[in-house]
Amino acid sequence: MLKVCHLYPDLLNLYGDRGNIIAFVQRCHWRGIPVEVVEVNVGESVDFEEIDFLFLGGGSDREQNLMAADLLLRKESLRQAIEKGLVVLAICGGYQMLGQYYLTHEGQKIPGLGILDLYTRAGEKRLIGNIVIESSINGVPVKIAGFENHSGQTFIGDMEPLGKVVSGFGNNGQDHLEGARYKNVFCSYLHGPLLPKNSSLTDLLIQLALQRRGLESTLSQLNNDLEEAAVGVIVERLVK
Amino acid sequence: MNIKLMIAVIAAKLAASLSRMFGGKGSSLPGVVARRIYQGTLRDLAKQARKDIIMVTGTNGKTTTNNMIASVIASTGCKIVINQEGANLITGVTTAFIRYANWLGRIDCDYALLEVDEASFPKVLREISPQMVVVNNFFRDQLDRYGELDKTVTLVREALKDLPQVHLILNSDDPLVAQMQQATGHSATFFGLAPNQRPATGSQQTREARFCPMCGEELQYENYQYSQLGSFVCPGCSFKRPEPEIEGFAIETVGSVLNASVKYHQAMTTLSIHTHGFYNVYNALAAFTVGSLIGIKPEQIAKGLLTYRPAIGRMETFFYQGKPAILNLVKNPTGYNEGVNSLLSIAGTKTVFMAINDNDADGKDISWLWDVDFEHMVKANHEIELFVCSGLRAEEMALRLKYAGIPLEQITVIKEMEPAIKKALEGPGKLTYLFSTYTALWSAQKILLALAEKEVPHAEGVSSIS
Repeated sequence: MLKVCHLYPDLLNLYGDRGNIIAFVQRCHWRGIPVEVVEVNVGESVDFEEIDFLFLGGGSDREQNLMAADLLLRKESLRQAIEKGLVVLAICGGYQMLGQYYLTHEGQKIPGLGILDLYTRAGEKRLIGNIVIESSINGVPVKIAGFENHSGQTFIGDMEPLGKVVSGFGNNGQDHLEGARYKNVFCSYLHGPLLPKNSSLTDLLIQLALQRRGLESTLSQLNNDLEEAAVGVIVERLVK
Repeated sequence: MNIKLMIAVIAAKLAASLSRMFGGKGSSLPGVVARRIYQGTLRDLAKQARKDIIMVTGTNGKTTTNNMIASVIASTGCKIVINQEGANLITGVTTAFIRYANWLGRIDCDYALLEVDEASFPKVLREISPQMVVVNNFFRDQLDRYGELDKTVTLVREALKDLPQVHLILNSDDPLVAQMQQATGHSATFFGLAPNQRPATGSQQTREARFCPMCGEELQYENYQYSQLGSFVCPGCSFKRPEPEIEGFAIETVGSVLNASVKYHQAMTTLSIHTHGFYNVYNALAAFTVGSLIGIKPEQIAKGLLTYRPAIGRMETFFYQGKPAILNLVKNPTGYNEGVNSLLSIAGTKTVFMAINDNDADGKDISWLWDVDFEHMVKANHEIELFVCSGLRAEEMALRLKYAGIPLEQITVIKEMEPAIKKALEGPGKLTYLFSTYTALWSAQKILLALAEKEVPHAEGVSSIS
């Protein structure tokens, strides 16, 4: 049984985020892998050691502040779980939150969880639009498509990115990198949401979650025609 | 005589004719032209309204509410200016006045009825001072264009605050709307629904306002109507759902007519409206409130509402070889959820058509499709054998259905609108239900007009209003 944790679904429900949960769960279902979803809201307890896949999304400013306060209390247990291979997908605000700090326009440093060695600074303009990145999944080059909408610009230093920007802005609109990866933690600005269309990434997350529990991780093939067609629409539009 | 205004109006009217000659709708270009020639165009035209200027803003139901108000007021013989068809940016509002003006820039009207886009609202208020403003609801809509919902609500609130005087007509059930009286200090009349007016099938997922707009505490609800609309109370401050002066209850759909009872002060009346969809009762209540505030008798308001016909894509009904086809505009999760619920409330087999575009006017970000509870349709799977997905993002719509649990063999992708609509009309269902985003709507309607017949109003299900 894989246990999926949706953190703060009450607060962080922008941009179809729950599509990521739906995709992970359905692709398990279709393969007969038992899976259950626990929703954890502010103040509710959760043992990250027991979780197989943790999803952390983004929200509007006020809601993000509420979740940040709650998440800071869980910092140590989350860090330990991540070091031990917890599979995490963090999007937008969730991505920024895992880093060292967020530098506001006014020069104020809002501390993050400090689990990943990256930081974010407020940008001049919002980076909005469809985006295509090129990533490598199990050694195979893959185009990942989504939609980004963020004003924070993130710099990941020496960390591994999720992919290279083919078209769009990515982490900061400057270094052509998108997202970040650390152990089994995947960060990205792509919503759209990310997992339903980009099925090879979803399958990688499922595989990693199974491996971490020492379970059989060879996944049966699914029909991905619609997924590929949906990515294809954006790729065709942006990449000529 | 105002020469500048005259020249602007003449130029705009010429632009309108030219635009129509080339197949345009001419719903905003004339306004653009006139405003460029004379910045005071809107101001000078609007102040000719002999009685009131009434505006409708908010997320869902602006066009419907405004058209319902028009039906009510026009039924008394008053002359109106109205912007139809959702041309609700400042250029569209200006165009509406130009359309009604003569070549000298003179307008003969009692009331101006204007639906105004939330983001354009402050801009329009700088040029026109309305006597009344209706705010219906706030939902998440086209995020990539407006930023987040908080900002939209703030924009409207601040713009209202800046008005020296205005009377607000507010939905008591939406905390984001109900706050406007306290937050702006203006007088207000509230309309709302009596608690528990709908079966518990409503969407639980997309609730926009969890927190008190006054103090930030988490709101508590005794019950929900849909989305964040319901009986709310803030445990942190005194803010709670205001007692509505105009309250709807006993809602039922009979045939193609929606019936509801309205309680106001000590009296009661029944409304019948040619439309589907639970949420349209809110729009009718808003129109009822406006009507009674300007002194129209309740029986007359009911008569006026009975003459209302849905605008393009607002539950517009067609018949294809005797089979009904309903066209419904969708632009955000709440509206789509309500559309799905209304589809599921219709008995019998259905074929579903969904056209999703991602042009500017639709919102380029279509991630909101994942916030719609299409999962509800899986339970009704036996009644819906075929889903036809069309439009620029047909594949994403199909993918959403796949992940909702609809079997792949029931999903067809036909990107081109015409063959897609044809396929849906000829589908196995006894009724065809068509969802469309904004920019796909016009071509959908055009194709439907060519292939099917527009609904002939009939009296079935209309309750007595005498």
